[in-house]
Amino acid sequence: MITLDSARELEPYQDQPAQLPAASNGKVGILRLGFERRGERTILHDLYRQSPLLVQRALYWDEEMPQLPCVMILTTSGGVLQGDRLHLDVDLAPGSQAHLVTQAATKIQEMDANYGSQIQRFTLAEDTYLEYLPEPTIPYRGSRFVTDTEVRLPESATMLYGEILQPGRKYYRDGELFAYDLFSSCLRAERPDGRRLFVEKFVAAPGRFPVARLGVLDRFHIFGNVVLLTSAERAARVFERTATPVWDEQTPLASAVSRLPNDAGLMFKVLGQETEPVRAAVRAFCVAAREEVTGRTFPPTFSWR
Amino acid sequence: MAETLKLLQFGDSVFPVGAFSFSSGLEMAVEHGVVHDRTTLQDYVRTVTRLAATGDGVALLAGHRAAGAGDLDRIRRADEAVYLRKINEEMRTMSVRMGRKLAEAATRIVGETLLKKRLSESAGGVPVTYPVALGVVFADLGVPEEDAFAAHQYGAASTVLSAAIRLMRVDHLDAQSILFAVNEKVTDDYRDVRTADLDDMQTFGPHLDVLAAAHQHVHVRMFMS
Repeated sequence: MITLDSARELEPYQDQPAQLPAASNGKVGILRLGFERRGERTILHDLYRQSPLLVQRALYWDEEMPQLPCVMILTTSGGVLQGDRLHLDVDLAPGSQAHLVTQAATKIQEMDANYGSQIQRFTLAEDTYLEYLPEPTIPYRGSRFVTDTEVRLPESATMLYGEILQPGRKYYRDGELFAYDLFSSCLRAERPDGRRLFVEKFVAAPGRFPVARLGVLDRFHIFGNVVLLTSAERAARVFERTATPVWDEQTPLASAVSRLPNDAGLMFKVLGQETEPVRAAVRAFCVAAREEVTGRTFPPTFSWR
Repeated sequence: MAETLKLLQFGDSVFPVGAFSFSSGLEMAVEHGVVHDRTTLQDYVRTVTRLAATGDGVALLAGHRAAGAGDLDRIRRADEAVYLRKINEEMRTMSVRMGRKLAEAATRIVGETLLKKRLSESAGGVPVTYPVALGVVFADLGVPEEDAFAAHQYGAASTVLSAAIRLMRVDHLDAQSILFAVNEKVTDDYRDVRTADLDDMQTFGPHLDVLAAAHQHVHVRMFMS
């Protein structure tokens, strides 16, 4: 099994927790999800899970796309703990579609030893469509988290992946802003023949180089990052609808779309002071993406989430 | 003394690679009032140089070391690593255009170099990128890697500062003072990244990314980024 243990940014954090050792029983979460087309619908035909990660079954709650299996990813431990090693492996067979969400925000708990890591692998076959829109990530004080995501897909496939990064528990006690030790996130995409499309690696370590500064996050606290991997022709249609940048001093909110190298698709970045405006901007981009790619729209947001 | 002169020549901000037509996002930052005085300009330049160190700077070192070993494959891999990480198209254009111009200029001035080989095989494949080309040129000229890194960092800062003189109310002396202050960080940045490899290349500048991506939609622009 691949690990991220040798990542350069983890060098200072190789000590063992006083509790269960890193990567011991109960700390290696595994999810393997396989989707397949059955008639009009896509089904979750393969499911392997190991706590603290948990998936129960696919539901078909999307009224705009009733054939779309919606899978909610749960954690049984209330977030990412020091020494956790999480693995998510998602496979879409030709012509299948899927929508993945998490049940709640990913809470990267306070740490005093070691780190948490997450490895995600997405393999998409021809003419597939995957949405992965987890709830926001909240890195708590002293937390160290490394995540590595690889997407393999042909030109006919589409993946829409949106994440929102919080500064910490902003309204907890006196407010917790950028008190985490390390947040490292790498996203790579490539074609099935191994041809590389693009790479984005973020490493935020506020103790080494401040993030609440000009050019990094400036005065903003919430960062939304959405990547749309799809054919050049579909990306062009989405770009047409979403390209106008936003610079709103009142809310405040700033966003813009870039065209990725090698015709990989688009990347939408949005910065805000509070979660809701960022979430709304991410949703607006996702609506445009789903409509242009599938011809269907998103149903209204759940009023209780 | 010979190496120092080569460093001064190829690291000079007037060396004809077209750096003067890019602002590295500053034009947009000035337009939105994000950068509006000496202090904010210095903060901006420092963020740019820090991200240049942890991203392109690592590729420059890889290019320098690969050229030292005469390894064209490794040079190409470094170019690819840079290109794949240029998420924004204007930044991509800047890196590829300046890389090509540097390769052409070096071929004309120095003659047969690895960079010439790299340029001739790049058509239709992995483009030559600026930081890697700079590392290769300096290795060919016998300039040590830490000096090559310093020239790269100097170039990242001076590109923004020469744009600043044309975009906002700062004079040449302010710009030089900022350059002097920001240059103080180059040694620390080199120490931080010298053991990094291409997979460690990293960035975290969402604010710069948004400014860079917004720039192409401005109708009247002085700069290409």
